[in-house]
Amino acid sequence: MYPRAFSYHRASSLKDAATLLSQLGEGAKLLAGGQSLIPLMKLRFANPVHLVDLNFISGTSYIREQDGAFRFGPLTRHAEIEKSASVARVPILHDCAAGIADVQVRNRGTIGGSLAEADPSGDWATVLLTLSCEVRCAVQSSDRTLKLTEFLKDAFTTALAPDELVSEVIVKVPPENSGGAYIAFKRTAPVYPTASAAVQLTVEGDRCKDITIALGCVGLLPIRAREGEAALRGQQITPKLIASAADAARAAADPQSDMRGSADYKRQLVGALVKRATEAALRRARGQQVEVSHIYA
Amino acid sequence: MGSDGAGWVGKGLARKEDNRLLRGRGKFIDDIRLHDMLYLKFVRSPYAHARVTSLDTAAAEALPGVICTLTGAEIAHQTNPFIEIGPDPFARIAELVQVDYESLEVVVDGEEALKASVLLHEEAGTNRVWRGTFEYGDIEKAFREAAHIVRIDKMHFHRFSSTPLENNAVIGQWDAKDEHIYYWCNNSFPSFAMQFIAAHLGTPIDRIRVQTFDIGGSFGIKITSYPQMSVCALASKKAGGRPVKWIETRSEHNVSSAHGNERTFRDTRVALDKDGVIMAIDSRHIDDCGAYPRYEPLGCVIWAQVFPGVYRFRNARIDFSQAVTNKCPVGPNRGYSRMQHLWFLERVVDICAHQLGIPPDEMRLRNYIRPEEFPYTTPNGCVYDSGNYPKMLQVAKERIDWEDWKKKQAMARAEGRWLGIGIGTTLDSGTNNFGQSQIVNPHAPFSGNSQGANCKLDIYGEVVVAVGSCPQGQGHETTAAQVVADVLNIHPDMVTVRTGFDTERNVHTGASGTYASQFAVSGLSAVHGAARKLKSEMKQLAAFLLKTGEENLEFGMGQQGPQIRAKDTGSSVNYWQLANVVNVNSAVLPEELYELTLNCRYVWRAPFKVPDKEKKYGSLTLTYASQLHIAVVEIDRDTFIPHILEYVAVDDCGKVINPPIVEGQVYGATAHGIGAALMERCVYDAVGNMLTATFSDYTPITAVNIPNVRYAHMETPSPHSYNGAKGMGEGGAAPIHTISAALQDALFSSGIVVSDSFNNADTLYRAMVAKDIYQAGDLVKMEKRA
Ligand SMILES: Cc1cc2nc3c(=O)[nH]c(=O)nc-3n(C[C@H](O)[C@H](O)[C@H](O)COP(=O)(O)OP(=O)(O)OC[C@H]3O[C@@H](n4cnc5c(N)ncnc54)[C@H](O)[C@@H]3O)c2cc1C
Repeated sequence: MYPRAFSYHRASSLKDAATLLSQLGEGAKLLAGGQSLIPLMKLRFANPVHLVDLNFISGTSYIREQDGAFRFGPLTRHAEIEKSASVARVPILHDCAAGIADVQVRNRGTIGGSLAEADPSGDWATVLLTLSCEVRCAVQSSDRTLKLTEFLKDAFTTALAPDELVSEVIVKVPPENSGGAYIAFKRTAPVYPTASAAVQLTVEGDRCKDITIALGCVGLLPIRAREGEAALRGQQITPKLIASAADAARAAADPQSDMRGSADYKRQLVGALVKRATEAALRRARGQQVEVSHIYA
Repeated sequence: MGSDGAGWVGKGLARKEDNRLLRGRGKFIDDIRLHDMLYLKFVRSPYAHARVTSLDTAAAEALPGVICTLTGAEIAHQTNPFIEIGPDPFARIAELVQVDYESLEVVVDGEEALKASVLLHEEAGTNRVWRGTFEYGDIEKAFREAAHIVRIDKMHFHRFSSTPLENNAVIGQWDAKDEHIYYWCNNSFPSFAMQFIAAHLGTPIDRIRVQTFDIGGSFGIKITSYPQMSVCALASKKAGGRPVKWIETRSEHNVSSAHGNERTFRDTRVALDKDGVIMAIDSRHIDDCGAYPRYEPLGCVIWAQVFPGVYRFRNARIDFSQAVTNKCPVGPNRGYSRMQHLWFLERVVDICAHQLGIPPDEMRLRNYIRPEEFPYTTPNGCVYDSGNYPKMLQVAKERIDWEDWKKKQAMARAEGRWLGIGIGTTLDSGTNNFGQSQIVNPHAPFSGNSQGANCKLDIYGEVVVAVGSCPQGQGHETTAAQVVADVLNIHPDMVTVRTGFDTERNVHTGASGTYASQFAVSGLSAVHGAARKLKSEMKQLAAFLLKTGEENLEFGMGQQGPQIRAKDTGSSVNYWQLANVVNVNSAVLPEELYELTLNCRYVWRAPFKVPDKEKKYGSLTLTYASQLHIAVVEIDRDTFIPHILEYVAVDDCGKVINPPIVEGQVYGATAHGIGAALMERCVYDAVGNMLTATFSDYTPITAVNIPNVRYAHMETPSPHSYNGAKGMGEGGAAPIHTISAALQDALFSSGIVVSDSFNNADTLYRAMVAKDIYQAGDLVKMEKRA
């Protein structure tokens, strides 16, 4: 199909974009990488009257490391994050960026657009939930910084006001003795996962000092598997404990049946992914180089 | 081949068309933009089954840029009711059209449709398209004498499709100025489509010109005569003769082009002797053809080309029905109608093997048709030309290191892992006898098969061959050039091959097109015949010009390019000189050579008879290529995801014309089949919404999903073709049987029988954990006699 007719505006700065949003009103939409918006427009699920293109604003696509945190521009592409040597030090971020769809999508799609879309199947929100992450949001004249959990409200719904945009994503670099991994099951590369698990784990001696587990595609928002975390936190990690964390994660999941799998199967699957991600995260926390990849059908 | 033979046939010549295609320089329908061209858009019913109660096109016609709308009523008024107007999308209109629908009850299951109270086509009075019993030998005697009887309650072959890169595309123009209808399209069986369109539109067939160009894949899907072609012409007529283009979108393609046949196998009974040799099979098959028969009901008989598969049993009864349902109509799809049946037979063989405790390889060896039995006449009168199935099995086993995998499997099982090894044997029957259509419709005016080709020296002496096929990547340009090069003893680069269909080249017959695995036989036989005809004319002419006898002539290359030389004197004529005297310098010709044209059309006909319609007996196909695949599959115990650890594909298509082309077809077909077995299916909900209408849901197979396929090939030349070749390319189903077999092998000891052709992690989870499918205890009953 082809999109409905719309008018096109090229923003010259983020401020200009916010101004356009407030002037053009509800029918306006920002265009970042277009990898969610354009398919929706083609299918006529989204019918914006105005498109405000962010792609020609300079200085919006960057990765800066500052005060123990990564700062990502709103238009930083998945591919840039995938290739960044500094981000590679936080392997879970690399796992995420490198595993999104295919090269074409990664070259266009942005971290800002991904969070703003709040697709329950999107990878970034799930992964960033395991780290300390804040989203800077700007309107024409001011900005505010929200915790990721405050930013994400529901499926396809964020705390952004109609004239507000994401201006930066800030992710705290985890400590040295921490490691993470992100593993999804995807039927093919260019489709969203059936389920996914992100685990960030900090060790102290032979114990797990802290752990965060987030589950993707098994609820309207990414889900923190808090009971699974509790099963491991402070413990000396054994396969048995990992298995019980996986079971707890299964209980926390709230999947729906669709073409990617039945709800029961997704629950089974997400536990298995938690297991694998935990094992990889643990080895990485212990300083080992571990290659992690999604599982494909 | 007589005097032919510079030896190009059989060589792995690089494909002539690749330079164009791989550099993105192909010419496809959407590359064509004509002056004043308009675009056509169909309005689709949001319901699977509904009646249009009112329709208002005023708002759509008022939209700037809209030239006209065309409604179902207008179409019906202007056409002969040749094409059934069903619940699918025939009457479709431009965008702002207001339509009120009265939605009707929906049937999405073939078996349900046969029982349902709701009729899809009221005028037909039934949802059953056709029913026929195919019975041969003495069934009851075989069951009386059997040592074992295995009963299988229900099996199901799922609906999936091919996903060509290029969707359907047509430009139609009804030009009043010269009273012609012009088509630029990517239909891959245009000579068939024209016969329907001409009758439908009430136009002499000579007034329809159809051209095809490069085609971005078909796999059978594009051989259907889509009603959209007629609609383009009618829309053009209404728009005053401006050309009208319709490029099908991907979502339109997914919901309304053509899917493959879905089939349910009920109440199967198998009689076996004490050694597991199959004595008889008795079963009831229900084919679901979707909204209405279009290319169907041909699928009701096509499967009988491979009635016993690769097996020797002589007694069988298949009660075959086809039903309509509120789903996309089906159409030929790589392995058309036969893969369903071959899958059924392979499941029967595997299930019986496991039930009887006979290793699946051994079971096959006991039941395969033996090499010394070829040519083999099947119980229904088909003649299998050649083959060596036991040897294929042996080659495949060697290639995959069977013994080693058996050991690894034993070790894996000891660790509690689910690892299975599966064998799938497939026939790819090529060059069909259209006479089989008379088994379903005794009045169908079709039988036999033919292909035309033209080989000429053009006015400057270029060798040009045209053939009535429309390839979609099968390399016809290359293989046709190889054949002509051998006849004339020149290099294939000196042969121009005009591929793609054009009625005005005047080479086609009513069976021309590219379908049903036959180019190597029908296409190349026609090319060969035309080239030999040309050669004989060239000889006569050269003998006259060189003043010598024909036996003194030699074809080959000289300093001025291709030439004919007198062996004794060494004097020669080149092709330009030959063409010159015939075309532009004819006063030098004596009258007795006036018949020569150097423009030779040849029609090849397959030596078929009309089958016996009552007994459903006769030769239905000319050649039988075969494939044997083995897969090693492990199902992850935690994620239930099946992973292919090793895969081998052995192919035998008789004499190979161009090895890399054959190998490429095998890889493509294998990928297609693996996709079908594990990833691709068309799913509908209870009210007939297609849930897999986008690629995100349908998930066609991609590079990350394809295992490393080991390939091996064998050659058992066909006695039915001049060159020993067999048609090939449809072995697409082989992985479906093979993977079903491997999964069953992995899980049989857990009480699982694989009774569906589609299997993904979710299916295996249901089988192993929820236990609501695949339970051997519910599906299979075994009776052991004294
Ligand atoms: C075939 C395919 C497969 C995909 N597979 C995956 C996958 O496996 N995992 C995954 O995570 N993603 C996947 N994606 C989505 C991809 O990651 C997108 O890039 C992402 O979801 C949206 O980012 P974008 O930059 O393309 O945003 P756009 O599509 O341009 O915009 C998305 C939405 O966000 C809004 N928006 C954009 N930028 C801002 C901003 N700065 N502030 C406020 N609102 C904004 C837009 O108005 C729009 O509503 C896939 C996409 C495709 C086409």
